Parts: sequence; structure tokens; C-alpha cells
Amino acid sequence: MTSTIADSSPRPPGTYTFASRPRPLNCQRRRYRDYYGSSDEEPIRYGNIMYDRRVIRGNTYALHTYPPTSQPDPVELQRQQEAKRKALARKRAREHLRPRSPEPVEGRKHADVQTELYLEELADRIIEVDMECQTDAFLDRPPSPLFIPAKTGRDVATQILEGELFDFDIEVKPMLEVLVGKTIEQSLLEVMEEEELAELQMQQQQFEELRNLELAEVQRLEEQERRHQEEKEHRRQQQLEVLHKQNETSKKIAARAYAKMYLADLLPSVFSNLRDKGYFYDPVERDIEVGFLPWLMHEVDKTIEYNMLGRIVLDMLIREVVETRLNMFEQLGAKQSEVLPDENDKEREESLTTGAEQFIEGSQRSSQRDSQWDSQGGSLRYDSLDSAFTNQRESFERGASFDP
Amino acid sequence: MDATTAPHRIPVEMPRYGEHHHIFEMMQIMLQELLIHQPKEPIQFMLEHLERDNDMVPRIFILGPPASGKTTIAMWLCKHLNASLITAENLIWNKLSGLAIKALQIYEKEEAIPDFLLLKLLLERMSKEECISKGWILDGIPETREQALMIQTSGISPRHVVVLTAPDTVLIERNLGKRIDPSNGEVYHTTFDWPSEPEVQNRLKVPLGISEEETVKRLMEYHRNITRILPSYPKILKIISSDQPCVDVFYQALTYVQSQHRSNAPFTPKILLCGPTGSGKSLQAALLAQKYGIINVCCGQLLKECVASNSRIGELIQPYFQKKMQVPDQIIIKVLSSRLKKQDCICYGWVLHGFPQDLDQATLLNSAGLMPNRVFFLNVPYDSVIERLTLRRTDPTTGERYHLMYKPPPTMEIQERLMQHPGDTEEKVKVKIDFFYRNSSLLEDFFDNVIYVNGDQDPYTVFEYIESGIIMPLPTKVSQ
Repeated sequence: MTSTIADSSPRPPGTYTFASRPRPLNCQRRRYRDYYGSSDEEPIRYGNIMYDRRVIRGNTYALHTYPPTSQPDPVELQRQQEAKRKALARKRAREHLRPRSPEPVEGRKHADVQTELYLEELADRIIEVDMECQTDAFLDRPPSPLFIPAKTGRDVATQILEGELFDFDIEVKPMLEVLVGKTIEQSLLEVMEEEELAELQMQQQQFEELRNLELAEVQRLEEQERRHQEEKEHRRQQQLEVLHKQNETSKKIAARAYAKMYLADLLPSVFSNLRDKGYFYDPVERDIEVGFLPWLMHEVDKTIEYNMLGRIVLDMLIREVVETRLNMFEQLGAKQSEVLPDENDKEREESLTTGAEQFIEGSQRSSQRDSQWDSQGGSLRYDSLDSAFTNQRESFERGASFDP
Repeated sequence: MDATTAPHRIPVEMPRYGEHHHIFEMMQIMLQELLIHQPKEPIQFMLEHLERDNDMVPRIFILGPPASGKTTIAMWLCKHLNASLITAENLIWNKLSGLAIKALQIYEKEEAIPDFLLLKLLLERMSKEECISKGWILDGIPETREQALMIQTSGISPRHVVVLTAPDTVLIERNLGKRIDPSNGEVYHTTFDWPSEPEVQNRLKVPLGISEEETVKRLMEYHRNITRILPSYPKILKIISSDQPCVDVFYQALTYVQSQHRSNAPFTPKILLCGPTGSGKSLQAALLAQKYGIINVCCGQLLKECVASNSRIGELIQPYFQKKMQVPDQIIIKVLSSRLKKQDCICYGWVLHGFPQDLDQATLLNSAGLMPNRVFFLNVPYDSVIERLTLRRTDPTTGERYHLMYKPPPTMEIQERLMQHPGDTEEKVKVKIDFFYRNSSLLEDFFDNVIYVNGDQDPYTVFEYIESGIIMPLPTKVSQ
């Protein structure tokens, strides 16, 4: 079965392509000898493909195709014969014109010689070889091996035997000397080098040892130094601290001493200040001032009031007496005037009244002196006996408003 | 040696600090408060007291007869010093206190308020925050000696007491013109203090009790009482005559109130005398040193002493002297500080003159820690200086120094051989004076609290002025 593969690659129209999957060829040998029921297929003849006329050999682009009818066209035949004759003629002309090698000289013969790299045996017999082929399972096509034509002919060799060219022992001597000498020299050198190296190594080792010792020493010294430094630093710090403390203490003491001196006068000055402000007072003085003197003044006031009161009472008494006397005299005078009408009455009245007035005046003057203590302090004026008496009465009442 | 017994140098900063911050006064006041209040927690009390920091607030009594202008002065001082004003009316008309209402009832009955009630009102008012922090001015309290004694015993004590006086006739007349603005209680006068705004003028009312008789009665009462009140405040009293214009009285009162009284604080004087040449600095310094035992440091003299003693510093100074050039400031400062930091200067104090002469020297002085605590500038007019210096003469044979005007030589013989110092010629003196006045304003600005003294008087008067400047405390600025 041919199976066509779809043509996917773009090709110019008009070209014909054909591709098919590989298929196993029909085996031309029957598988089994007697195969009953296989009359369907035609028996496939065995044949050599090389001699199969059906296989087209040569160029396939100018095929000699038989016409569909087996009878050839007479025109076609003629044309073919003419074509043949022309071809022959052309060939003869070419042979004529072809340059050939000159004819051989007398007694010689031209011989064809192969000048290629490898000689080739030309034989008429076509060499036939049966070959089988089995495709491997899709192996890659290995690269084509280089074409090496098989070896034909015979190898011939020559050999130069020992002693034919030169005498080895003699010839080799100088070389050997040089070689050995060089080798020995080189080995000597190497040995010397090694010895030298060994020597160096030893020296180095010694040096290393010494150095290690020294390093150890140095480290020890460094350690010592470091410890010393630390110790020094530590001591220095301590000393600084001590100094600092001393300084501070000294400052504190100075401050304390100064503050003490500065405020030494504080207490006395505070107390004297408070005394000046009057907060601290002499209690005795204060007591006298606040307690005793007002009481004293008050008592004095009281005494004077009593004094005045007494005088006023006295004045009242006197007034009473004088009033009654006056009334009595008036009555007497009235009776007398009824008996004898005369101007003496008026005189007598006047004299009586003036006498009474003088009397009253005197008593009032004395009471006036006393009324200086009167807080009202008004001035007493009197025109007539009555107003004098009423004033007396008022002054008595005013005086009575004192609270003893 | 025991550290406590070793001699200790008291660093210079300590006295300076104490003086600058008035530590002594602070401790004094705190101790007084402790003694007066006797708190249960003294340390807490002290902490509160220090935090309050109200030592310098105004505490003023203003006393005076009626119509002397107490209220006016008190109000002006209040505004100026930002303190609270307390008057008897203030205390009574306070609606927030029960005591005040009681007092108001008594007042409305036309009776006198009892003293103990007044004291309670006062104490209540003064314990308020504004009085504690801003200070107080009491106007017209106490009126009687009893009140004064009660106030004193309760611990209220003023720092300044201002008493106004005037002749009675003036007061009686003045009282007749008194007018009151009812809206804010301000007192005006028809003649002396008439308000400028017409609306205020229309508002003014005649107050009660300004008739002559009333005034006389009140004056008599006042005179009776004031003679007994004044001895209670002996050292803090100032009597100002109120027979002057208001403004004068006010300024007198203000300066007094802002001054501080002499305190008992220990004080080492560090005096700087500045002035042009011939103003008498050396003379005053010598007088001060003689009277008070402080060390007289004359800069020029000190340098000459160094040169003469051939010390290392002296060798540095000598080339400048030889070339008659100004010695550089660094050397002078070194010499000065070594002298002023000696024990005797720290102990007794010093008076310096002749240095600094310009601002750089003053800053150097400051950075060396040698700032003076009293700076005096002696002002002498140019002619006086010329007169003082150009007439100086010396007698070469006896070495006696004369002055042709102030201390003439006794005999003609001496007078003929007198010689004048070449540096005393008028040109040289003028140069020196100009040099001083060029730098003087900068120096005055550099130092604070400079005291100016008129140096044109006779030396003992000038000395007294300087003494008072040293003894009285420096005026403090009142924060507005």
C-alpha cells in the first residue's frame, strides 16, 4: 500500500513530487511451501533485479518511451534513422578532430599507464558479489569512511643490517662520554644542591629555634610591660581619685566654713529685725500699754464722771432749793403787792431774780469747769433763768449717758 | 594632717555668688517667716517659700492726714509696681467674705469697726494669692497705735512706710476741692488734678465730709494718733512733704519704695574707681584704704613694682616701659589677677583704679573673674581737672608736693625753686582726658549699676558720697 504523505513544504506550482512511506517490499519468495488457499495472489517470480528489464537504467529525463501502439510511426521511424546517421557522422567528425598523442616511435609501443595515486586493476569481468543488506534500527548514517583503495601488489622492503653503516662502539664513545659526563655532572650538581638545601634547612631550623626563643622572651617581656602599664594606670587613677576627693572635700570644707562665716550674723540680725518690726515686743511694756493704761484711763474717766455727777446732783439740789425759795418769795411778794401797790415789787423781784441768778451763775460756773470732761464739749450759754435750768437739765441728761 | 584643719583657700566665686544672689537676705527672710509662722513641716514650708520667691515684692504702708493725697499716691504706686491696693473700704466692700459682710453691717450703723475684725479682714485679704505674689500697698491702715501693734504682732510687716505731711491749713483748703469719680473711686481735685475728659468731669461727685469742720476734726484725730504710730516703724519710715505737686511726691515715694534698706549681709568691697585723670581717684582710694582697711591697688603702681622687683613678669614689662609704649593687656591682667587673688585682697576687699581703660580691658577683667561689685564714675568738669593738675608743683630739695591753689608753699624761697612734672602740662593732660572720654561711654554701658559721683567737690564730701554708695545696697530693678 502506498501511503502518501501530505506535502507541506512550499514548492513552485507545476513540479511533481511524490513521497511515500517506506514499505516492505513484497517478498518474492513464498513463505510457506504449500499454502492452501493462496490462489488469490499471483505467483511472484524470483528474479535478479540487476537483469530485470523493467528497471530503468541510465538517465531518466530522456526516456525512450514506446508509443502506446506497438506499431511505430513511419515518420517517427524515418526521423529516428536520420537522427542515428547524424549522430554517427558527428562522432566520426569528433574523432577526426580529437587531439591525440603522437604515434609511437619505431620499435616502441605506447602503453597506458595509470598515473593516479593508487593503481587500479582494469578487468573486463565484472566482479559480482552477493551482498545482503539489513537495515539497522534507524541508526544514524555514519560518516562515510575515507576511501582507501585496497592494496594491490607486493610490498618490497630492504633492511640495513648491523655493522653495515658504522661501528657502534667507536662512534658511541664520545657521545657516551658527553652523555655520562653530563649526567654525572648534573647528578653531582643535584646532589650538591640537595646538600646545600639540607644545609640551608638546618640553618633555617636553628634560626627558627633561636627566633622562637627570642619571641617567647619578647612575649614575656611584653606581658610584663603590659602588666606594669596597667598597674601604673590603675595607680594613677587611684591617685587621681584620691586627689579629686581631696579637692572636693577641701572645697566642701571651704564652702562650709564660708557659709558658716557668712551666716554667722544671721540669727542675731533676724532677731533684731523682728524686734524692730515689732513682732518681738517687750511683754511688760506691751502689757502696760495695752492692758494697764487703758484701764487706768478708764478708771480716771469713771472717777471724773462720778465727780461731775456729784456736782450735777449738787447743782440740782441747789436749784430745787432756790426754786422753792423763789416761789416762796414770789408768793410773798404777790401778797405784799396786793396790800400796797408799789414799784418796789419790780425792784424786789429783780433783786430777787438777780440774786437768784448770781447764785445760780456761781453754781453753774463750777459745774462748767467740770463739764470739760463732757465729750460733747458744747459751749453753755444762758440768757435767762429758765434756759439756764433747762441747759443744766440737758447737761445732766447728757452726763447720765456715760456708762460707768 | 587632718583635711579639716588644713588651711583652705576659699575660692573667689563663693563670696561673689552670695553677694550677687543676696543669699544672706534670702536666709534672713526665710528664718523670719519660719519664726513667725512656726509650721509643723518646716522643710516643706521652706520649699514653698523659696518657690514663691516673693522677697522683693512691694510691701508698703502709706499713712498721712486726710487730703494729703494718700489715695492718689497709693493708686499710682499700685499701677506702677503692679501690686494690690488695700484700703479700709476695699476690705469692707468685699462681698465674698463673711467677715466683710459683718463689717459692712457695723459700718452702715455708722460705728467704728472693731480692731480685731479689721485685723481678721486684713489677714484674710493678705492670704490671697495676688497679695502674696504681687505684693500689697496699704492705704490709711493702721489709723491708731492699737491697730499698728495688732498688725505687728500678727506678723504683717511692711518693708517701706511712707508718711505724707503738710501744714494743716493747706490740707483744709485742699480738702474742699476734693472730688470723687464714683465709677472707679479715683480721687480728683478741682485745682490740682482735674481730669481732662469731659465725661469724667460730669461724673464727679462731691464726697461726704469735706467741710472745714469735718476736716479739722479729722486732722485733730490724725495728729493724736500719728505721733504714736510713727515710733513703731523706726527704720523703714520716710516722711515726704505732700505740699508739692503730685508728680514730685509720687516720684519721691517711688524712689524710696524701690530702694533697699541696709542689710547685715557680710560684704567684701570690690570697688572700681573710674574717672579722667585728675578726678581724685588715687586720693579717694587712699582714703578708703585707710578708713576701711581695704587694699589699694593702683594699676600703674603695680606694674612699676613688678619691674622694680625684677621678677619674670617684670622683665617682660620693662621693654614696654623703656619704649614708653602701652603694656599689652594680657600682661596687665596677669599681674592684676595675681595681686587681686592674694589672700589679703580676698579677705579685706580691694579698691582698683587706673584699669580698665577701654572695653577690651573690661572684658578681660570680667573673664578673669575679677568683676567689681561697686563701680564709681567720678565726674569732674574739664576746667577743674586742668586747674587741679596744671598747678601741681614739687619741691626738688625736700620732695614736698604743693599745689599753687589748694596747698601753696609757705615761703617765697620754696616757691622759686618749685618744679612742674612734665606730664602735668596742659597739652598732655588734655590728651589723657580725651583718651578717657573716648572710652568712657562704652565702659559705663559695660558695667551695670554704675554710681556717678560729682568729683568737683572737696575730697571729704566726695568720700562721703562714695561711702554711701558702698554701704547702701545696689538698687534693684523692679520688674514691670
